[in-house]
This record gives sequence, C-alpha cells and structure tokens, in this order.
Amino acid sequence: MKRHPLFIMLGCLVAVLLLSLSLGQQVINPFNLDPLQFKIVLELRLPRIVVALLMGGSLGVAGAILQGVFRNPLADPYVLGTSSGAALAAAFGLLATQGTAVWLVPGLALVGALVTSAVVVSLGRDAWGVRAERLLLAGVGIGFFLSAILMLVMSLAQADGVKRALLWMAGDLAGADWSVVPVASLLMLFGFVLALARRRGLNALALGDEVAFGLGLEPGRERTLLVLAASLLTAASVALGGIVGFVGLMVPHAVRALVGADARRVLPLSAIGGGMLLCLADTVGRSVLPPVEIPAGVVTALIGAPWFLIMLRRATGGGMR
Amino acid sequence: MSSLRFDQVCFSYGNAPCVVQFSCNLAKGELVGLIGANGSGKSTLLRLGAGLLTPTVGQVELDGKPVRSWRGEERASRLGYLPQSIEAPLPFLVGELVEMGRAAARKDHLLSCREVLAAVGLEGHEQTPLSQISGGERRRAFIAMILAQGGKTLLLDEPLAGLDLRYQYELLTLLRSLCQTHNLTILLSLHDLILARNLDRLLVIRQGQLLADGLPTEILTQQLVQQTFDLDPRFQVAGIGG
Repeated sequence: MKRHPLFIMLGCLVAVLLLSLSLGQQVINPFNLDPLQFKIVLELRLPRIVVALLMGGSLGVAGAILQGVFRNPLADPYVLGTSSGAALAAAFGLLATQGTAVWLVPGLALVGALVTSAVVVSLGRDAWGVRAERLLLAGVGIGFFLSAILMLVMSLAQADGVKRALLWMAGDLAGADWSVVPVASLLMLFGFVLALARRRGLNALALGDEVAFGLGLEPGRERTLLVLAASLLTAASVALGGIVGFVGLMVPHAVRALVGADARRVLPLSAIGGGMLLCLADTVGRSVLPPVEIPAGVVTALIGAPWFLIMLRRATGGGMR
Repeated sequence: MSSLRFDQVCFSYGNAPCVVQFSCNLAKGELVGLIGANGSGKSTLLRLGAGLLTPTVGQVELDGKPVRSWRGEERASRLGYLPQSIEAPLPFLVGELVEMGRAAARKDHLLSCREVLAAVGLEGHEQTPLSQISGGERRRAFIAMILAQGGKTLLLDEPLAGLDLRYQYELLTLLRSLCQTHNLTILLSLHDLILARNLDRLLVIRQGQLLADGLPTEILTQQLVQQTFDLDPRFQVAGIGG
C-alpha cells in the first residue's frame, strides 16, 4: 500500500549515519580518511553507531509490541520491570569492579533483565494464560521493588562507583565496543523475527481478546510469544548500552502517525526509526559540548519529549473525537 | 441442516448460573434476534456460540462439530463474532481492519474489501484512522471486518448500539440481504423491539432460560414483554400488540 515512508526513513537513516561518522570531538570526512582517522572511525565511532542502531531499533520494536499487547499507548519497553532488574544487576557489577571485565556488566544486565521479565510474566499468568492487566501491574510492582533495592545499594556504595552506575542508567554509549554486539544482535534478531511472525496476533490483540479470538487466534498464546519477543529485545538492548528512555515510547507513535497501526509496517519502521533516533541522539550528545559527553538517553528525552508534546498537541488539534 | 446448534447448554460464572438448559437450532439463512433484559445472559450465549466460553453442561455445535474443536483459522472462516465492547486504542485505519478480517480466513471470500466497506457505508474510507470517525462509524468498520472474514455464521452482540436510525435500518437490511443471497445465519442481540419485528425469528431469554422462540409477529405480546423485562403490568409498550 504505502511504500514511500519506508524510503523516506531509509534516506534519513543514511543521512544520520554519515552525520554520526563525521561528528564527534573532531570533525572527520568519512570519504577521505587518514590512518589515524580510520582508526577513530573503526574503533570508536563505528561500534557506537552499530550499538545505537541495534539498541534504538530494539527499543522501538519492543515499545510497538508492548503498546499493542497492553492496548495502552503509554506502554514502553520497560513496563515489564526489565530496566529495574537490569539496572540492579548491572549496578552490582559496576560497584564491585572498576570496569575491568568487559563482559561482566552487560552479562549481569542481560541476566537481570531476563530474570525480571520471567518473574513478571509468571506473576501475570493465571489459568487463562497471560493477562494484560495482571502483567502490567506485576511489572509496575516488581519495578518499584527492584528500584528501591537499587537505591539502597547506591546509597551504601562509594562515590565513583555510583557515578559510573548513574551514567550507565542514563544510557551512556561512550563505552560501546564490539564485545557484546554478536550475542546481543542474535537475541535481537530472534525477538524481531518472532514479533514479525506474530504480527497478526499483535494487530488482533490491540483490538481486544474477544476480537482476537473471533479472528481465530488464541489471545493468551499470542500474548506470551509477543511478550517473550519484547523481553528479548529489551534485555539485549539494556545489555548493550544501559537504559535509554523515551525511544521505545515515542518512536512507535511517530511511525503510526505516518503509516497507520498495522504491525506489518509498524514493526520494521519502528526498528529503523528507533535506531535512527538513538544514533542521532548519541551523535548530538558527543558533539555539542566536547570533551564532555551527554549520555544518549538524556539527549533522547531532552529532544524527544518536547517534540512528542508538540505532536500530541497537533494530533488533538486535528480533531480527535 | 442447522449451522449453529445449542444443545441443553448450561453455563455459570463461578456459582452463579448464567445460562440454563438452553437449546435451539439456527437454520441456514435465518436472521435471528436475541432479546432479553440486561444481565439475562445474551452476551454469555453469544460467547458460548463463538466458542469463547465452554459450556459447563451441554454442547454448542458449529456446522456439525463442537465449536471449540474447530482449529482457529477454520473457525474464523466459518464464524464471525462481534463483541459488544469494541475499542481500538491504536490508530488503525479502516482498511487495515478489513484486511485483518480477510487475513483471518483462508477460503474464498464472499465479498471484496471494497464491497464490504460499501455495505457498511464506509466506501472510500480505507485510509481513514479509526480515531477520526464517530462511534457509530467505528462499529460499522468492525462489522466490515467481521463480514470480510467471510464466515457463513455471524454472532453479533448489539451491533445496532450507537448507530443512528438510518444505519440501524441499513445494517439490518444488509444483514437480511446477506442471509438471503449468501445463505448466512445471523444471530444478533438487540434492545429495540420495533426493529426486532423485522427479523425472521426471535429468541427471548430471561435469567438465562429460553422464554419464547418464534416469529416476532406471533410471540411479541404485551404479556411476554412485561415478563421478559419484569415490567409493571400497567405499563404498555407502544407498537406491540395485545
């Protein structure tokens, strides 16, 4: 049906990529590199770009999934408590070591996120399968509990560890390198393919369980598979670069405003849009105040929130009934 | 040959009996109305018919087989179900909704996407978001989705609610013509007794039990209406015979 938004977004993505390769503490022409610049691009900028694309894309897709599953436009990838679980596990790693073991923090974050999702999902189940309201409440409850423990741990910890933990939680991509990318991208790929395969279920669940059943689907089963996909995507993104808010909430809405709500279009475009947005945010964050870097998660919220509110005003002004 | 058959169906939510010993056969091509007070079990009956609920006792058969034993896609190609509360919190387009209906079933579709939208008076609205149309139009869009599934049996829970007078009559006319031309079986719950007189057959229920079953002109009497809705005997309903 509508093809052009895909091409427009791919065009924007290429522009953002070139911008991100060029900008930073030093402006580089990506088409004419000397050996030192080549090293900077390959070892510093490219991994950050890849990490930002993967993280942002996963968060966009996870947000699109959970907004449909919960039939709630305010759902974001972290409603399942994943972020709190990941943050708590990662905080232990960040506070206990000086950041020497490359694998430790992402590994802990991944495990924390997955375990939390599993606990929330098991609390959200009853004899009928996974219930949307139960799941949402379980996620919020567990999230609060884990955040409280995190605050307790942080208040007892040493100052330099606390700063590293805070930066991690704000979605700081400065430490991005290639080490975790293969595992994370594998998990993400699995989550994305699973979600795309259940796109009919995602569409139908957004219309309510009874409608979904009437369309020949088993709502409980579809919801379980889709939540699994969203959990994998979120957990892998947290493991890659910490917690980045707002991308997962905002990107699916922006995409739906362009192409409607059909998951067949919303999922791929949310992946592109999310990756693009986070890449742009990271580029801005490391370019505006060198040598200080603003965490990408802070930039997404600082730019994203006002833009989102403007869009919201326009949508209401445009005659929503 | 019946398309939907309720055989001695009982159902209770917990300990509260909701449907009691309900039996009836819906023949092919019949346009049947389900009448009853709030809480009398109309929606539960339709859910049982759609296979959403399993009877505690008895059996619901769709095309000769227990409705719950059909596989999802098979069931969706045979039976369309429209629940009472329809909400779309995400901005689906009207055309996307109809596509979902078409994608749910695999067999040859009775009507094209365009025909379905024309049937509910939403032609040319494929690209309109559901958030930008009125409540009655949204209901018609959902009915278009159910029609697009192409099932020969339709269970519609208060499809006329929220529709203006014109579309109530137009939708009933459409449903009637579908029954006649495509031999559809349609069971719909409704509250308008005047409109109910245009149907082929009425099932009247009270507290989950079948009170009357027959031609609207024959069974709709002041006495039955008073009994169905627990009305004061002095209260006379306009437009209903003695």
